[in-house]
Parts: sequence; structure tokens; C-alpha cells
Amino acid sequence: MSELEVRSTVTVEAAARPLPRFGTVLAGLFVVFLAVAVIWPGLITPYGPDAIAPRDAFQPPSAEHWFGTDESGRDIYSRVIWGTATSLLIGVTATAIGLSLGLLLGAIGGLGGRALDFAVGRVNEVLFAFPGLLLALLVIVLYGPGPVTATIAVGLSTAPGYARIIQGELRGIRSSGFVEAARVLGHSSSGIIRRHILPNALAPIAVLATLGVGQAIVWASALSYLGLGAQPPAPEWGAMLSAGRTYITTAWWMTVFPGLMIVLTTIATTVLGRAITSRRGGAR
Amino acid sequence: MRSAPASVRMNRRLLTLLAAASGATLLLSGCTAAAPEAASTPTAGGTLVYASGDAEPDCLDPHVGGNYPQALVAGQFLESLVSLDDDGAIIPWLATEWTASDDGLTWDFTLRDDVAFTDGTPLNAEAVKVNVEHLKDPDTQSSTGYLALGKVESVEVVDDTRARFHLSTPDSALLESLAQPWVAIESPAGIARGMDENCLAPIGTGPFVVEEWVQQDHLTLMRNDDYDSAPADAAHEGAPYLEGIEWRFIPDSASRYAALQSGEVDVIDNAQPDTIAQATKNGSLVEIDAPRPGASNRIELNSSRAPFDDVRVREAFIRAADVNDGIDSLFFGTATRSYSVLSSVEPLGYSDEKLFTTDLDAANSLLDDAGWTTRDSDGYRTKDGKRLTLRFPVSTNQSIPAEQSLFEQIQATAKEAGFEVVISPLDISGWYGALFSDSYELVSAPYTKIGPDVLRTLYDSAGITPAPSGYFANLAQLNDPELDELLRSAASTSDTDERASLYEQAQKIILGGFYALPLYDQQNHFLLSTSVKGARAMPTVSTPTFADAWLAE
Amino acid sequence: MGSAVRRTLGRLAGALFVLWAVATLTFFAIHLVPGDPAQAILGGPGSQASQEALDRVRADYGLDQPLLVQYFAMLGRLVTGNLGDSYALRMPVAELIGGQLAGTVVLALLALLVAWLLAIGLALWSTGPGRASRAVAQGVELTAASLPQFWLATVLIAVFSTALGWLPAVSTGTPTGIVLPVVTLAVPLAGFLAQLMREHLLIALEQPFALSARARGESATGIRLRHALRHAALPGINLSGWAVGYLISGAVVVETIFARPGLGRTLLRAVELRDVPVVLGVVLLVALVYVVMTFVTDALSRVADPRLRQEARP
Repeated sequence: MSELEVRSTVTVEAAARPLPRFGTVLAGLFVVFLAVAVIWPGLITPYGPDAIAPRDAFQPPSAEHWFGTDESGRDIYSRVIWGTATSLLIGVTATAIGLSLGLLLGAIGGLGGRALDFAVGRVNEVLFAFPGLLLALLVIVLYGPGPVTATIAVGLSTAPGYARIIQGELRGIRSSGFVEAARVLGHSSSGIIRRHILPNALAPIAVLATLGVGQAIVWASALSYLGLGAQPPAPEWGAMLSAGRTYITTAWWMTVFPGLMIVLTTIATTVLGRAITSRRGGAR
Repeated sequence: MRSAPASVRMNRRLLTLLAAASGATLLLSGCTAAAPEAASTPTAGGTLVYASGDAEPDCLDPHVGGNYPQALVAGQFLESLVSLDDDGAIIPWLATEWTASDDGLTWDFTLRDDVAFTDGTPLNAEAVKVNVEHLKDPDTQSSTGYLALGKVESVEVVDDTRARFHLSTPDSALLESLAQPWVAIESPAGIARGMDENCLAPIGTGPFVVEEWVQQDHLTLMRNDDYDSAPADAAHEGAPYLEGIEWRFIPDSASRYAALQSGEVDVIDNAQPDTIAQATKNGSLVEIDAPRPGASNRIELNSSRAPFDDVRVREAFIRAADVNDGIDSLFFGTATRSYSVLSSVEPLGYSDEKLFTTDLDAANSLLDDAGWTTRDSDGYRTKDGKRLTLRFPVSTNQSIPAEQSLFEQIQATAKEAGFEVVISPLDISGWYGALFSDSYELVSAPYTKIGPDVLRTLYDSAGITPAPSGYFANLAQLNDPELDELLRSAASTSDTDERASLYEQAQKIILGGFYALPLYDQQNHFLLSTSVKGARAMPTVSTPTFADAWLAE
Repeated sequence: MGSAVRRTLGRLAGALFVLWAVATLTFFAIHLVPGDPAQAILGGPGSQASQEALDRVRADYGLDQPLLVQYFAMLGRLVTGNLGDSYALRMPVAELIGGQLAGTVVLALLALLVAWLLAIGLALWSTGPGRASRAVAQGVELTAASLPQFWLATVLIAVFSTALGWLPAVSTGTPTGIVLPVVTLAVPLAGFLAQLMREHLLIALEQPFALSARARGESATGIRLRHALRHAALPGINLSGWAVGYLISGAVVVETIFARPGLGRTLLRAVELRDVPVVLGVVLLVALVYVVMTFVTDALSRVADPRLRQEARP
């Protein structure tokens, strides 16, 4: 999660570089597909997510089972689709938690006076000095494993990264020419924050958010690998990836398809995120 | 096979014996049998690389604590007073003979007079006395060995080679207890160095000597050139062929198997079912299947309170949980379904398949009778507004992925009868926490011990009362005075037939009361490169031994 | 001069605060976690600790004291530079960590280096001519960044160790044994770095000096190459502090899979066993490295970017 911090120096203009429109359309279509999978998974799946059939275990992809079957004979395509809601929920909620905490800390630090900036800086450092995984592990052993705790754990360990980026962005915007100009023109600070600083800070935050969703899912899957992720039998991409790893030499399809969904989701949301921000790019 | 565990055991052990004798590989019953290789002459030299998937021990002295990972490695450098042969009979090791008094309270052990520890200290009755005292000293922090010697009050040195054990009550399991690696005999001079030093390199009489322990990486074991105290069933006498063993710890099963395939290591333990099937099918690797003694792998049903205080609900769960197809598909034929709470290597194990046939209709009517008549919107049964929920903490350290998947299948089949099974994967400390706070209805806990006396540990009502520490071993919380009486009599009788009959009655009570759902033996599979010859698992607690092993070209 | 001294003292106080807070948080967090360290000390699966042994262990390790007493005892020890003894391994934590440090440091530094090289390559590719190749490069970056390490590691072992037999899967003794662990840690990191670098590169290419360089007849590749390296420097410096946490988290997974001794594996095991002194020791070490790195990188970026000198940051 703290990976996101590296984006602190990414500026709005650069992030907004337009991508091929074709890609944007594809990404849009994929997101629509995800939406259907979240809202009405039964519509596009032939089997239930938990329907076990031990005798049909470890079947490679076929006309009957598009993505093959897992160790309990469950249809992987159906599980991947049914798992979309949980996986995205983990991804989106964890990102939201991380972002809101980050926004709070970052805004206090970036817009407040020097003392606040200092205080937030220290809080951030303390959080940052903690290895993210340890923070996540502690939250999970504390509250027991499950999607909710995994989400909170991942959210918490991303927060300091977001806070740094946002703080940096805000500080950058605050010292930029047009804010100086507004100040010279006698606009009130609250007005400047509302009218100039926040709108300009929103675009990079949107980019961060789109990248963060996929990352949060990947992080949650690392917790599954360590045996502390989603509770069985919930179909969740990260947990599926981790469960399938055991059989990677004998049943590659068990990890490839959930893995593909994570990667495609990250790419699609990022591409869309950039397309959206590029349209807003003129605001500055 | 199902109702005759003894024959299963014989079969496996005979094969093992044959294989070992011909210098070929060990085979397992009921699985692909590789063609026996031509006998070859042992060649001396070479270092064998062993990769363990078990946790790295905190202390190499199995007197301290006392868990299976310690037994695995300690078996290479420590030896016990007695051992077991392939038929489960007690055979001489460091002790050549033994006699019990008529009242069963005094046991005289005669020791070999020609054995010395690797530090030069002679093995004598005084050394045995020091070891027993070491195990019984609270400062040693022994748990398994301490329990094994629970009835031993003191050891008297009769003369240099004769040690007399004084017991508080007769103990029919004494020899089985003494065969365990957790009560192996160490050099008194080694023990005298203090725990910190002794933990790093215990000194024994075994075929290898601890040379170096680089924690979290590997252990170097060197050949004991003066070794000459093999158990009575060893393939050869004298020093081992191998120059040494590099003992590594590779926790990730996929990496461990990859390392074996690429030749980086020669032997791995905790081999996963799919890899065993793959490796033995194409003949590139050799398997040793050595189920652990003691209890089978089973799911205990917490009978202390609702819903499992009602035998009908317990039976309903067992009838609803369909495991046979799952064991077939998840274990690739490497595990055989068990219908006994004892391991198939235990001669006194009793099984009853009829009690465990899956029958959803029967489960449903049992639950109806028990008052769980209504179902909520998720399809789970309810009674007085409470859902029929079973909490199932699962230790991710102890349950391999295939077993965790099996639990998921049980969850799915039990759901059809209206049970909500909540599986929580936990790390080892969290798992103990869940058990000790009594927040479980289902639990699968391994227990390795030689002999049927393990039943007393697991099902005597004395095991329900938690120690102030929270520990208790009777996880089914089975509280039946009749059973207690049977188990206690069995533990103190010296009549073998009576002992067998008492244990059979006891197991009928446990199985018939639906307190446990047996799954299979405690799985213990080793995979060996084809160049490793003469390795075998000890018939005691199924740890590997390399005293007779060599590396062929 | 006076302000520089004051700033240094301020930073030092800040650093001490961070270390204290990290120690305190970790201590209380791990004590809130259910699980009995005394039980863990005495065995684990299949062993049954006697009450005498438990009492003895609790007394030996001070586990029978009230939590606050244990906390202040810990602080007292830390002040004197004593990290205490591991519950499980019965050895001084400093010695334990000392023994595991080298493996992780080498792994982390190599991974960082490889990640940088990969990222520079990717960034150059993705800013190159041609929309299609740019899109592909960005796809590669995002994919790399989305790869879970545990999965990547397994695939690498299956391909390079099992199938091709080129590299050992778990050998720590040989120099080639570190290749797969380093690649596993480096690839996802490279994905991030490449994205970051591309943005900087693109900004630079739109700057007047790049245009004038073009006008002077310099080749596009030449400009990209020079600017790629130069513009990578600043975020790279900023990144170093952050990378400590990332690499330690990654090391937990990578060291477990490749069976390498190191801090990550030590940390995971200590958390599982509730081995408080070891968890504290590792976390404090990571915090210390982080604090030092931030201190150094701040100073370095002040040197590298004159604009920062004017902004009087604490």
C-alpha cells in the first residue's frame, strides 16, 4: 500500500495524459461487465459459487466449465463472477478507508499551520515506520480473520501512504501561482481552499483511488497466502489465487483466472481513471 | 480393511520390511507400487539433504516442550530405552531387557554396557536416572515427556547397568511411553550444561551428532563414527554410511517439492497429496507413507453444551458431513478413510464404518426430533430463534491445504441438513486461544502418542477441566464415568487380553456416542529422491531414520 | 547555523518519539492479541504443558506481572539498549536479529537495484514513439504492479527451477539462489517505479529545455535516456524511506517461499508465537532504518533540489 506514496510527485497534468480511445472503450466495457457481476452474478453464471462436486475436482477448462474446476469441483468461472462483489468490496472499501484517513491526515497537515503539519508528520512517520504487513497481521490476529478485518487491515496500512501524497499535493497547490494570486486578490482562506485547492487536489486523488483498488485486492491476497484472508467458502479472488497456488503445477487454471481478473480490474479502473482526469485536466 | 486395522498395518509394515531388506524403496499399501529395484550394495559417504516442512524447533532437546518437529530431528542423534518393531511389539534398544514386578509398581531395566554418549560419557543406570529427573523437573519445561512419565515416581540405580523404575500406580503403557523420542536418553554431562546450551546441541548415543545449528536456515549433523547401538530391527550395525545430514527448514510446500525435483534436496517431509500422486506416478521419486501412531485425524464435536450436548444433533452432523468423495479427490489416493479414533498403526484400534455412513434424510429427521425444526431465510435450521451454528477454528499451521478444502466440503454438505459451519483459519497461537476459551463446536487437533493410552488423554473426563493455563486435551469434552473407568482400568491392567477388551469397549462408547468424526490417519508422507536407499520411518512415532541410509550413484 | 542545529535537534527528538511510539503501539497491540505466549514457549501442537512448567515460564519471563509493569520493564530495557531475550528461541533478540539481518539487507538492496533498472527500461519504452507500444508498455507496468509476490514466486520456481532447471528454488548457499527471490521482490516494485518515472519523464519532455535540445538536433532517444536517469534521481531519493517498509513486508512472503533466513520470516514467526521481544526488536529496527533514511533523504533532496531549501520544513 505504501507503494502509493511514490505517486506523491505525480502531477495532475502528467497523470492526465490521454490514452488511446479504443482502450478506454474496452476498459469501460469491462467495468460494465464487473457491474453486472456485482449486481446480478446469477445472470451470467451457470453454477452456484459454493456448489461442490468432489468427483469433478481439478477439471481443466472445457465447454462445460469455462475456467475449469477447483479442488472441490466448484466451477471457477462461477466463483470468479460471484467473487467480484466481495473482491471489489474489499478493494473499494479498503481504498476508501485508506483514502479518507489519508485525506484527513493529509488535509490537516497540508492545510493547517506548521504545528499541525509537524504533528501529522510524526503520526505519519510512526505509521510509516511500521511494516504494512505487520500492521495488517496484528489487526487480523486481533479481530479474527474475515473479509471485514482484512479490509480494515489493508485500509489502515494504506492510509499513511495516501496521507503523504495528499499532503504533498496540497502543499504543492498551496504554493502554486494561482493560489498566490487569489491570496493577493484578497480571497478568504476558506474560499481559496474550497474553490481552488480542493478541486485541484481531487484529480490526483481519483487516480490514486483507481490504482488503489487493485492493489488492495492484491494485498488482501497476500494475507490469504499467510492463511489469514477471507473465510471459506466465500469466493474471493485473492483467496482463490492463494488456494490455487498449492496446485499450480497440476491445475494452472485455478490461479490464472482469478489472477487475470485482478490484473484486468486494475488496468480497467486505471485506464478509466486517467480518462476521467484527463477530461478534468483543464481545470487548473 | 476398515474393521481390521491390524491387517492394514501388517501389510504396510511387511512391505516396508521387504523393501528395506532388498535395499529398495519403501512402498505403501493401496497405492502405486513401484517395481522393486535390484539390490545394491551400500556405499559410504555423501551428505544427505533433508527438507522439513514442520516448524523449526525452538530447542533441539525434546525433553524441553516436546513436539513433533523436535522428534523429527532428535531421532537422528538421540535414542530411547526401547523401540517398536514393525508389528508394534516392544524391542530392545538402549535397554536389553526389562521385568516388571507382580504388582506392576517396580520395573527393572538392564542397559547395554558397551554404549557411550558422543561426549564420551558412558551410558549407565545413573544416566537414566538423571534423564528421568531432568524430565520431571519443572525447570526443564517438559510437557510431552513429563506426561509420558506421569506414573514414574523415581529411578533407583541398582548397579551400573540396572535401573529400577518406581511407579505410583501400574502403567500398562510404560514401555510404549519410553519408546517415544520425547523421553530419549541424553548425556548427563550434556544436560548439566544447562538448558540454553543443551537446546543448541543435545548429546546422545545416536547415529549422528549435532555439528552446527544456523537458526532459521539449517542444521548440520555429522556421522557418529563410534555408533554401535542400533535398535534391534536395524538393517545394519555400526556407524551410518552417510557422512552427514544437512537438515533444512522449507516451510512452503510448493518450494519444498520444487527443491526435491530440482535435486537441491534429497528427502522432504509433509509432502502434499497432489505432488505425491504426481511423483509416484512417473516414478521420479519414492514415497514413504508412515501414518503417525496415537489418535487418527478426526473432528471432535464439543459435547459440553448446545447444540452438541444432544446426541441426535451430533449424529445428524456426522450423517450429514460427506467426506469420502472429498478424501478421494483431494488426497489422490494417499489417504484412506478412517472409522476409528485410533491410528491404523495401533493394534488395538477399533473401527465401525456403519456409524459413519452419510445419510442426509436421517440427519434431517434427527434434527427435526431434536427440535431444530424451523429454517431461516439462508436455509439454516433454527430453534428458539437461534441458528444452528457450529464454530470451527482451523489451524493453518496444522491443517494442510487439502484438509482445509475437505473442511469446506464438510461445510457445504452439512449446510444441506441446515448446519451453519463457520470455519475460521487461525495461526497457531490464535487457534489455541479459541480452544482454551471454549469458543468452538468443532475442532480437529492432532495427537501423536504411542499406544491406545492416548484415548485416556483425549477422552477421560479429567481432560475436560482446563488447567489454569487453559489447556485441556478432551476437546470433545466427553464426560462419561463408565468410559473413565474403562480407560483407567485399561491403563493399569497387565493382562493383554483384558487390556484389548477394555479399549474396545471404550472405543465403542466414543464412536457410538458420535463424539468424533474420524477422517484418516495423521498423514505423514516423505518423498525421497531415487538415489536415497535404506531410509525408513521408525515404527515408534514414524519419524525418519537415516542410520541405514546411503546415497546411490 | 543555529537554525540548522535546531532543526537537527528537532529531528532527533522526532525520531526518538517515533521509536517510542512504535515500541508502545507494538507492545500493546501484541498483548491485546489472543493467545498465550507461555503456551507457545512450551511446545505447540500435540504437547501439553504442565501447570508447574507454565508457572515457571511465566515467572521466568515476567509474564505474570501486570501489563503496565511489563511495559515499563520493557521501556527500561530498551533505554539501556537491551532488546531482551526471545521467548521462543531463548537467545538475546539482538543476537537473533543480527544473525538474520544480512540476508534481508542483501535481498532488499539487490531487489531495489533490479527494480530500478527494470523500471528505467519500462519507462523508456512506454514514452517511446508509437501509441500501440506505449499502450502495451503501460499494460506491462500495470500487470507487473498487480502481481502478488507469492504467486509470482511460485510461477518463477515452476518455470526456472522445475521446468528449465536453470536456477535453484531454495538454495541459500549458492550465489544463484538469490536470483528468483530478488526478481520476485523487484518486478511488482518495478511496475510502480516505471509509472512514476514515466510521469516525470513526460513532464520533462514538455519542458522548454527538452524542446530546445530537440531543436539543437539531439536524438529523441538521447534526450529520453539522459532525462530518464536524471529525473529518476529525485523520486528515487524520496522513495528510499518508504521502500524499507515495502521491502520488509515483501520479505515476509519471499523469505517464506524461498526458505531464506531473514527478518521477514523472523517477524512472521514471532507474530505467530506472540514472541513479543522479537516482534518489538524487528519493528524497532525497521523504524530506526526508516527514521535514518528519512533523515538522510531529506538532507539529500535539499541538496538535489534547491527549491526545497526555501521551504522551512521541520
